[in-house]
Amino acid sequence: MVFYTLKRIAAAFLTLVLIATITFFLMNAIPGSPFMTDKSTPEQIARANAKYGLDQPLAVQWWRYMTNYLRGDMGVSLKMQEGTDVTTILFHQGKFQLSIRVGLWALLVAVLLGIPLGCIAAYNRGRAIDSILRVLTTFGVAVPSFVFATLLLMIFAVELKWLPVLSNSLESPAAYVMPVLSLALYPSCYIAKLTRTSMLDAINQDYIRTARAKGLKTGKIIFKHALRNSLIPVITYLGPLSASIVTGGFVVETTFSIPGLGKYFISSILNRDYPVIMGTTVVLAALIVIMNLVVDIAYKIVDPRITLTSKED
Amino acid sequence: MEKKSFHLFHSNVDAIAKWSSLRDEDFAPATETEKESMVEEHKSVSYWKDAWRRFRSNRVSMISLFVFLVILLFSFVGPYFIAYSYDEQYREAAKLFPFEKTDVEKAAQALLDAGADGVLATSMLSGSQTYIKKGDYYIVGKNGQTYAFRFAKSKEKSVLVLESDQEPALWIVDQKALISGSYEKTPVEMMDTPAEGASELKMMTSFFPHVFGTDSAGRDLLARCMYGARVSLIIGIVAALIVLVIGSIYGAISGLAGGAVDFVMMRIVELIYSVPDVLIVLLLQVVLKEPLQKWFDGAQSGIVKSMSDLGVGVVSIFITFALLYWVGMARIVRGQVLMLKQQEYVTAARALGVSGRRIVKRHLIPNCVGQLVITTCLQIPSAIFLESFLSFLGMGVSAPMASLGSLCSDALDVLQNYPYRMLCPAIILTVLVLSLNLVGDGIRDALDPRLKK
Repeated sequence: MVFYTLKRIAAAFLTLVLIATITFFLMNAIPGSPFMTDKSTPEQIARANAKYGLDQPLAVQWWRYMTNYLRGDMGVSLKMQEGTDVTTILFHQGKFQLSIRVGLWALLVAVLLGIPLGCIAAYNRGRAIDSILRVLTTFGVAVPSFVFATLLLMIFAVELKWLPVLSNSLESPAAYVMPVLSLALYPSCYIAKLTRTSMLDAINQDYIRTARAKGLKTGKIIFKHALRNSLIPVITYLGPLSASIVTGGFVVETTFSIPGLGKYFISSILNRDYPVIMGTTVVLAALIVIMNLVVDIAYKIVDPRITLTSKED
Repeated sequence: MEKKSFHLFHSNVDAIAKWSSLRDEDFAPATETEKESMVEEHKSVSYWKDAWRRFRSNRVSMISLFVFLVILLFSFVGPYFIAYSYDEQYREAAKLFPFEKTDVEKAAQALLDAGADGVLATSMLSGSQTYIKKGDYYIVGKNGQTYAFRFAKSKEKSVLVLESDQEPALWIVDQKALISGSYEKTPVEMMDTPAEGASELKMMTSFFPHVFGTDSAGRDLLARCMYGARVSLIIGIVAALIVLVIGSIYGAISGLAGGAVDFVMMRIVELIYSVPDVLIVLLLQVVLKEPLQKWFDGAQSGIVKSMSDLGVGVVSIFITFALLYWVGMARIVRGQVLMLKQQEYVTAARALGVSGRRIVKRHLIPNCVGQLVITTCLQIPSAIFLESFLSFLGMGVSAPMASLGSLCSDALDVLQNYPYRMLCPAIILTVLVLSLNLVGDGIRDALDPRLKK
């Protein structure tokens, strides 16, 4: 177990280094210099490049990034907030917190909505409620998040005026409703589908029949026997789910103009603010990688049937 | 053959059960026609026919297939049936609501209602032409007579009215005056016969409605939706094919080779798999844009030229798929190959000395095909999804080109005043992705009933 965990942590670290490296070379491949404007002279650009060490060979720059990151130093912004520490920009201006808050709420909603819906559908298999839920979840998986987000905007903010159009810094709880819902739509429908399938599998097992035969109450059978065993696929999905929430974050933050990490990442790419691109990518990637790591380890703990040493495919 | 005799045996079970009632004739050998009818019942069913039969019996899949075909017609044939094209801008017609007419169109319609033969409003012509160039023209009136005329000067912002009922006449009216209602008809001087090389001016007798309205630049939204759906579909299909080719070759090599090669290849796949794709995709979109543009600008002919017609945004989406999204396919194909490799019939073939190439051709490929088709089909909607996501963030397809995602993105800023501009492409996109998903599920159930949930 310890060996497995260590191996997974090493792999996760390697993935992060790889992502940082890819990002580093990709962003340096963006044509033009970050300091190029209509007015700037070649000398000015050269001076600015020298100031931030951009005139050095790529390998040297790459090594500096890597070593600095290990020390927790993410460099300073070149353009968007010139001279400010990237750490400050990401963590002390509320961007990270905003994105995380919306993401966590969405995760919570997805799990709390998806699992019960899946159970209800499985338990009422073949009845009208199952069909209705199947149609709804199929739609939920097919509707792109930005379509759903704008639909919510149109109905609840523009027409009914119940909720604010711009969520901005999410001051009131009402401002959370639409971003969280549009972010949670896909995962909750996906989880509902997953739960339904694995629940149906579980319900047909012999031990459920035994439980029924010995006269246990339906609720107890569902929660104590069937649900526990059918949650394993859902736990596996939590890894990809975190990635999909980061992805969805880009769209939702654009749609509702929330000044979070996703929105900032896109503008940093367009501005070629190298340290900010690096910082945001690494932070977002770290979120996903850590989530995957946790899920991988938790998965083995939750399901003792899986042997720790075997290699899954 | 075994099947048939098996069937013969069974079909007679009832008769055998009532053996006591059998007569002597029942023991006569079957006649040729009887044999024939037995054979007909059991025509051998091919893999694909069987799959199609299963697919057809699935109502949801059939409806989705129909919806998908409708969208296919809408996007590829539809443009031939509407009067506007996706990139023509009509300044007068900007920001129209669905079915709304421009002021000129309204005034011109009033003239038509009042008995005019046809009108030609210069600002409504295609290509945002706002004037009639000088030169010779002819038109054919309701009475079949040809009217020829010449403009010595270019005419801007005016409407030509043809009235041939009482007295053949062609009037030119200033557009602004026409809208206000107090206009002066200036007669156009007629000639007897059109001059050599005169071009025909088409008079309009009715106005094609802007079914979905128009965007801020005066482009017809219906035309743009059709075009956008086409671009989205092409992206989805091509991206799925790219994934199919790269993924299946990689997966097959890895699965067939086994051992150290397989180990290394699969570690690479795992590494790519663990990279959060969207972060890299967004970067790639920006990185690829300029080099691609340069490459396209330099190209004169061949594949590069035809790719440049697709635009930088679309091609960089393809490259992204080629770089990052084949890993899922590679894993599936490798799994299939590994599983099939250990089947008894492959071992038997090997024992009989069949060459590796023949084993691949006869045993592995036919058995993999179902899985390949399923995965490719389900890849199409996810490619469309990704493209619309990129375009929505302003990184994919750029104007004047359109995709369903970029149309939605354009509409986001004006959502409050013009919600239909978002609704139209969004609904098409959703229905398209939904139908493709359901068709894909149907194909999966039909090709591989074991996977059915």
